[in-house]
Amino acid sequence: MTIEVNRISYGINNFSILRDVSLEIKGGEILSIIGPNGSGKSTLMKVLAGDIIPDSGSVIINGKNLNDIEISSRAIVRSMMSQTQNIVYDFDVREIIEMGWLESSIDQANGHFENTIKLISNECGIDHLLKRKFNSLSGGEQRMVHFARTLLQSNGLQKNLQKYIFFDEPTANLDIKRELNILNVIRKKAKEGYGIFVVLHDLNLAYNFSDRIILIKDGKISKMGDPNDVFDDEILSEVYEVPVYFDKDIGRIKYY
Amino acid sequence: MYYRILMLHLFLFVNSLLAEISVLSICNIANNTSDIVVAGGSITEILYFLNEEDRILGIDVTSNFPKQTSELPSIGYVRSLSTEGILSLNPKLILGENDMGPPLVLDQIREVGVDLRIIPEEQTAMGIIDKISCVASIIGIQDKAQEEIKDKLMPKVKYLKTFQDNKIFKRKRVMLILSMQGTSPIVAGSGTSGDGFIKMTGAINVFESFEGWKPVSEEAIIDSDPDYFIIPSRDMHKGSDVKSLTSNPIFKNTKAGSKENFIFEDSMAMLGFGPRTIITALKVAKEMYQQD
Amino acid sequence: MKYVNSYQMFIVYSSILILLVVLGLALSFGSYKVTFIDYLYSDMSKVQESVFTKIRFPRVLLSAFVGASLATSGACLQGLFRNPLADPGLIGVSAGAALGATSFIVLGSNFIQGSVTNPYLLPLSSICGSAFVISALFFITRGFGKEGITYLLLAGIAVNAFSGVGIGILTYISDDSELRGLTFWTMGSFGGATISMIGPALLFIIFSFIWIIKEARKLDILQLGESEAYRLGIDIKKLRFSVIVSSAIIVGISVSLSGMIGFVGLVVPHLARILGGVNHSFLLPSSALMGAILMVLADLFARTMIKPAELPVGLITSAIGSPFFLWLIFRIRKS
Repeated sequence: MTIEVNRISYGINNFSILRDVSLEIKGGEILSIIGPNGSGKSTLMKVLAGDIIPDSGSVIINGKNLNDIEISSRAIVRSMMSQTQNIVYDFDVREIIEMGWLESSIDQANGHFENTIKLISNECGIDHLLKRKFNSLSGGEQRMVHFARTLLQSNGLQKNLQKYIFFDEPTANLDIKRELNILNVIRKKAKEGYGIFVVLHDLNLAYNFSDRIILIKDGKISKMGDPNDVFDDEILSEVYEVPVYFDKDIGRIKYY
Repeated sequence: MYYRILMLHLFLFVNSLLAEISVLSICNIANNTSDIVVAGGSITEILYFLNEEDRILGIDVTSNFPKQTSELPSIGYVRSLSTEGILSLNPKLILGENDMGPPLVLDQIREVGVDLRIIPEEQTAMGIIDKISCVASIIGIQDKAQEEIKDKLMPKVKYLKTFQDNKIFKRKRVMLILSMQGTSPIVAGSGTSGDGFIKMTGAINVFESFEGWKPVSEEAIIDSDPDYFIIPSRDMHKGSDVKSLTSNPIFKNTKAGSKENFIFEDSMAMLGFGPRTIITALKVAKEMYQQD
Repeated sequence: MKYVNSYQMFIVYSSILILLVVLGLALSFGSYKVTFIDYLYSDMSKVQESVFTKIRFPRVLLSAFVGASLATSGACLQGLFRNPLADPGLIGVSAGAALGATSFIVLGSNFIQGSVTNPYLLPLSSICGSAFVISALFFITRGFGKEGITYLLLAGIAVNAFSGVGIGILTYISDDSELRGLTFWTMGSFGGATISMIGPALLFIIFSFIWIIKEARKLDILQLGESEAYRLGIDIKKLRFSVIVSSAIIVGISVSLSGMIGFVGLVVPHLARILGGVNHSFLLPSSALMGAILMVLADLFARTMIKPAELPVGLITSAIGSPFFLWLIFRIRKS
């Protein structure tokens, strides 16, 4: 069971954003996608999530075409963390996390709700914030709350139900401690068996963190595969239009 | 073919007969002729005119004449009455005109068993006489009323009729202005109480061509070139009103405006179609034609 | 899964209690002297009984339901639009209902014999008016599916403007005797309510309540934003449909029976939030209860303050609502 993306193309007003993109997301693996601004990374993630309907091509999740999966069922099989909007009303932190709890979730009946919330809050380092008002938190703290909510939504991985989690730039604007926290938890989830798909900006992070990487430019995949293969000086320089070289010994991008 | 015409006539005749009968039944004597609540300024006026004001328990806000009315309990605005409010005065009879409302409240009052009469109104001098007679019949004092009418009103009505029937001198052309909405005055078209009043004075309504109360443009006013402006007003501050109107550019450019031919009278006295309307119409007719 | 905490349950129960007390008070006071105690224990005169059961009781009942309707609709729309200043009038439903009623008053008598005297045709034309507005909104936003709630708001503004023009034209072509009905619509009144008139309406209102309270949890999740809510499994189009149609029904019916009464839909949900919290599983029922309490009290004042005359109830709600609204704006500005 995987997510198969078959030859996705998408454009607005005759302007192409994605061109013939194909990939596969497997359970237990972190697949990252990197590329210049405007290359179509976030758009691709939205197509996978079902936010956007592509002009051509298909997304097959666990053998079923995304279009044939009901909206409520999509939420069970995949969760996504991305930029969030302002929350107008004064919810508690705990209430925001709880919004990740799907009523249609299979293990709703097993009553581990309280424990699950505790575990996840602890994992994310926000259990001391549960009773506070969400809008009183700092930007970084709020992101962790949304992270916890995403984890709650994807909670309940089972042998016969492969689940996936998408992250759109999860570490943006986070301090080092929280950044490491999130990355550790994501790695843990991959080990547990989730299929992880991440949009990243930071090339160093992508190299050290991913199992496989996709490099995309102008809506087309330039290179896909093992990080060592993708992080080829020539390919990177061409894609980013800047001369770079990648020091594999220390795993760091260097510029001339 | 002739059969159809015959049936048509018969139908119309029966219809008007029924209309007559229904009007007649409205003015039938009431079971209880005291303890009256009145919703309509002209009816209050009529009761005072007939010296029967002691029967009144409560009045609406349009009943502002004579001054003594301010001492009576108020049931509020005639178009939005309160069922419980009226019933709390324990009336046995309610008299009003066709602007009494809302209709659901009237239904509720009737259902409780209180006698509610809507006095029909015809906006002519004889219509006023009929109104007075109707009210008098309801409270059972026709004879006394006929005396009062014969004494105090019929002479004026007859005098007015000479203005209305006049074929000798030129009729005055007038417009009646209710209010200034922004800069467009609202004037009386045909079918309004204002139009009725104008006809009572024997004058011609320059805006007879449209129906109802409507705003008119400055150009229309100048073009209509009336001899007089008739203005019903709530407060009688005649001096300041004339000044503000004559300096108003809309009126300055008319013949009547430049001659200051403005006639102000109390709005209820003019448009209420109670006894005062007869007196006011006569006063206004004399004022318009006397100037010649 | 319990979304309402114990403190919130306490508030809901207290509100129910307060509502019962307020209903008892409202049934006992008015221009006419007859109280709830009289009804239960003493022999009343025929008029007293009529006043209590046929005049006061339907009126108090109607004011409670209209208060609950407007408040709940306000809470729903504030949730749907994610805007604390949203109000049932915003999407044009009240104006549509008023337009329907106005059209009937001015044009109806030309087409239907004896129509002006039939009390059922008027509420029916109001509901047709609000149904027309809903359909227009549905059509403009293509099944409520067009991206972004801003589009819907714009459509609502357009509808409001159109209704305003329609009402203006009808006012212009009407003659004086027809206009008598129009002021009622803009100021609101519960006078003249009868059981037969409000019975079917209450059924519709109850049905709509049940429908919308089921969506309470979805309204919570919607606060994260439409994309997030979609990803959490919420069908946004269906949710918009449920909220707008149920709001339109309860507001349309309320306006048809009692005219346009302002501020309740705007102000009551905020009161409920301040007292107990913002989640909709609590907010919707508590807004309904508090809206009912407020409206019953407002109507009580309207019909006793200058007795035996009456004030339009919309005046009272505006008098309470405006200062509260200003306070609310300051509060939003501070945070």
